[in-house]
Amino acid sequence: MARKPSKKPARTRRPAPEAEDYPPELARLPPGRHGLPREFVTRNQRERLIAGLAEAVSEHGYSGATIAHITRSAAVSRRTFYEHFAGKDECFVAAYDTVMGELRERVSEAFEQTDDWARAVKAGIAAMLGFLASNPSLARLCMVEALVAGPAVVERYDAAIQSFVPYFQKGREGRSPEVLSRLSETTEEALVGGMVSLISRRIIAGRTEELEELLPDLVEFTLTPYLGSDEAARIANED
Amino acid sequence: MPPGRHPLPREFITQHQRARIIAALAEETVDKGYRAVTVADIVRRAGIARNTFYENFSSKEDCFLAASEFALDEALRRVTDAAGRVDSWPARVNVGLAALLHYVAGEPALARACIVEVLSAGPAAVERYESSIQAFVPLLRMGRKVSPNGEQLPDTLEETIVGGIFWILYQRIVTGQVEEVEELLPELVEFSLTPYFGVEAAKRAAAEAEPPTDA
Repeated sequence: MARKPSKKPARTRRPAPEAEDYPPELARLPPGRHGLPREFVTRNQRERLIAGLAEAVSEHGYSGATIAHITRSAAVSRRTFYEHFAGKDECFVAAYDTVMGELRERVSEAFEQTDDWARAVKAGIAAMLGFLASNPSLARLCMVEALVAGPAVVERYDAAIQSFVPYFQKGREGRSPEVLSRLSETTEEALVGGMVSLISRRIIAGRTEELEELLPDLVEFTLTPYLGSDEAARIANED
Repeated sequence: MPPGRHPLPREFITQHQRARIIAALAEETVDKGYRAVTVADIVRRAGIARNTFYENFSSKEDCFLAASEFALDEALRRVTDAAGRVDSWPARVNVGLAALLHYVAGEPALARACIVEVLSAGPAAVERYESSIQAFVPLLRMGRKVSPNGEQLPDTLEETIVGGIFWILYQRIVTGQVEEVEELLPELVEFSLTPYFGVEAAKRAAAEAEPPTDA
């Protein structure tokens, strides 16, 4: 996958993320003549801009990222940017939706792989951690920078986090009235909130690559209210 | 802006001004959201000169960070004070959480600024917010000493519990239910104690240690 040679002087700062790190729909189309249908090019420009925004935000933060940073990363003209988006905020929303959509899809796919709820939760959490750990700039975009990007994105962020609640609520199905009476209305919300805040802390601390190490802890934490600590710990630590 | 520039007699005035500016910032933030608030708004609400603002804070962000630090310090102080008045660890968790919820319910503007809007104030603010709320971690960690499975509990447990509690507060503030957060007490106590004692024992402890009625 050819990258446009960078005009920037070599820096000792963290390197720009490789295109291969991105999910397929964010992968770049090499700039230049390619004879592709216009519709494809337009679509692809949009995707390149979204990837460009992710790079710019990862390097400069949401507030510091400019349209110029985005178009440079995406290797498109400023005019092209404005053909697709009214401004940085709109581009960010598109990027956020793309990344979150991908993350949610991966979690959902992993969760559907088994009927055993506890193992499904484990697979879902593993998928989430895996996606974030292997895409540090996207992880930062959707878990940290999103909160800075204005009320429209914050609302989406809140909704996205809450959308993980039903996976845990499923753990109530088929349990005895005794177990059910032990769970409170906010149990799932608190579990998801705790999990997300732990993940965000690691991302903020620049330890995104280590996220997968949190798997056993998070599995034990989230399963305990349903299964008790012994069973939760056993499932958390099995291979 | 070097704060040490002023002679001592001004210290009291400065402290007072800071508190006023912080309160003004919190109120303006509730009205407009962090991003839209300007230094001019804060100055107008606090009834001070623009210069005075810049003598105390270098920017809106700096002021916001101070507000957030002030509120979280105060919350921690109230929680520790309350917890210090009872003996057993589960009871401490109960009264500590009651004090936290009581503070949040009684200071809706400050709570909104420091738990919700702070997250919009940039990664530096978020980082400081996250480390401030981690000040509650050691209080929970003491539970390992009295838990039958204290040795085997996951290392990140307390961080996760604190994050869960603040996420619930965040959600209640965002959905306009901040005045009712005290009703969450039994659920949050249970949520915090479950990993240490199992669900049933935690439920019993939560039921036994109802908050004092004069709270």
